This record gives sequence, C-alpha cells and structure tokens, in this order.
Amino acid sequence: MKMKYIIVCLSFVFTTLVVAQEKYSTKNGTIVFEASVPSFEEVKAKNENVSAILNAETGDFASLVLINGFRFKVALMEEHFNENYMESSKFPKAIVKGKLKDFSASKLTEGTLNYTLEGTITIHGVTKPFETSISISKKGDSLLVESQFVLNPTDFNIEIPKIVSNKIAEEVHVSAKYSLLR
Amino acid sequence: MKKRNYILIAFLVIVVGAYTGYKYLYKNHRNIETEEASVKVEAKELVGMFASDNTERILNKTVEVTGVITEMDAQSATLDEAIQCTFNQLPQGLEINKKVTIKGRCIGYDDLFEIAKLDQCSLTHYP
Repeated sequence: MKMKYIIVCLSFVFTTLVVAQEKYSTKNGTIVFEASVPSFEEVKAKNENVSAILNAETGDFASLVLINGFRFKVALMEEHFNENYMESSKFPKAIVKGKLKDFSASKLTEGTLNYTLEGTITIHGVTKPFETSISISKKGDSLLVESQFVLNPTDFNIEIPKIVSNKIAEEVHVSAKYSLLR
Repeated sequence: MKKRNYILIAFLVIVVGAYTGYKYLYKNHRNIETEEASVKVEAKELVGMFASDNTERILNKTVEVTGVITEMDAQSATLDEAIQCTFNQLPQGLEINKKVTIKGRCIGYDDLFEIAKLDQCSLTHYP
C-alpha cells in the first residue's frame, strides 16, 4: 500500500517535470513596428512586454501583446494610436497562435533554423489566418526566436483618417524578438 | 499707425497659434511616477478587477499595487505571481519574498500567463 502511494507520488513528480521541461516562454519579448513615410514624422513604436510560449514537444507557439504597452516617441501619436486607431480600451490585446511546421526540439542548434509558423492573428478584434517565417537559435538554456512580417491595417478594420493617411504607410512592418527560457 | 497695430496683432496671433499648436503636437509623455494612483489595491485584487470586467478604471491608468515579490528578472518584478511590474531601470534592494508597493501604468491582462502587466513602474514603499 505504501509502495503504491510512493509510486503515485513519484509519477506525479515526473509528469510535472516533463510538462515543465517542454515549454519555453518569456514575458519580456520585444515587438517593434514601423509605418513611417519618408520626410514625415517617424511612425514607430516599441513594446518590451510581449509574452510568448513555445511548446517544444508539439511546436505550438502563442504570443500576446498588450496594445497599451506600445511606446512612441511622440506622446500625441501614442494617444491617437490607442484611442482612435487600435481602440485599445475595447481591444486591449493582439494575439498570434499557431504551429511551427516540422518543428523538432532535438534538432535545435546554436545555428539559426528557419521554420514556418501557420496559424491565426487577432488584432483589433479581427482574426485572420496568418503565416510567417520564424528563425530559432539555441543560446545556452534559452531560445532566440525572431520574426519579421508585414501587416495591412485595413485587413483588421483599422481606419486611418484621410488627413493623416499620407503620413502613415499602408504597410506596417513588424519585427518580433523573444528570448524564450525553459 | 493703425496699419502698424494690425500687423503687430496679426504677428502675435501667429506666434501664439504656432506655440499652442506645437505644444499640442509635441506635448510631453505622461509622468507615471508623479501621477496620483487612481486605484490602490493588493496585487491579487487588481487581477480580480480584470475578471469582473471592470477594466475602464484600471486600463491605461496609474495604479498602486502591494504584494510579495515572487519572481524577478533584469527589468521587472512579479508580485504574488499575479502582476508583472516593469521598470525603466530596476531599483536596487528588490528581493524575492519582500513585500513592496509599486506604482505603475496598467497596460492590461495577459491571458497566456494569467497576469496583469504594469509598465513605467516606480517603487513607492518597501519595509
């Protein structure tokens, strides 16, 4: 009876260990986006509080960014971004969820490997299918994950008023960078 | 004489207009450290406020939270496993298991980790 109890306990400990080991995550990832037009004020913001989780067993990846956390150089631009364009009080977060194709944790090396992420992206309450290339390299215990992609505000029902539309690029270049820890 | 007055007035209007315009376009960022906190609560309570759909009082507002530090990294301290407080520069003297009060701007609730996040934090009290 006692033996059984110990085995149950041990198996519980081992399963939690396994579960804990297969996930890499961060709460301090960085996303920078830029939609500048030459010779106008720079339209660029940075968020250093991005969360991300990679399940190394399955290749499942998720990243969540809080819209209010984007910081601009110009305070008024930050205000307009939140209140008028992203409506961050109504839609406070953007999420990417997907799966890395042909991902295998055992193949990760110090060199950079490229994977395709297939999934969905949700911004401004609109969910769209999403595909991007993601590079991963191993650095000690952590995984350095990087991706660049282009988004189109009109795809997410984000209206840019005519008066400023010539100062904001139609294509928004996004770059994400995470250092995921086990 | 009259003509000179008009020119002077027009000039003043332009100068004042340009100045207010500039001030409006390039106003300063909020200073969270000097702002009065609109909500002062325990760390767990703030997370509860997100669950009860009462986000308008806290989202993008300056809040003050009290709790025990459960996790730390180069830029942030997490209170009661519930709130991650990010500092522009991590203050000295923060330690795990210490009870502190931190003021910061609440940027939202993170479903992935089930935590709330604050940025531009400052330490207001620690014993």
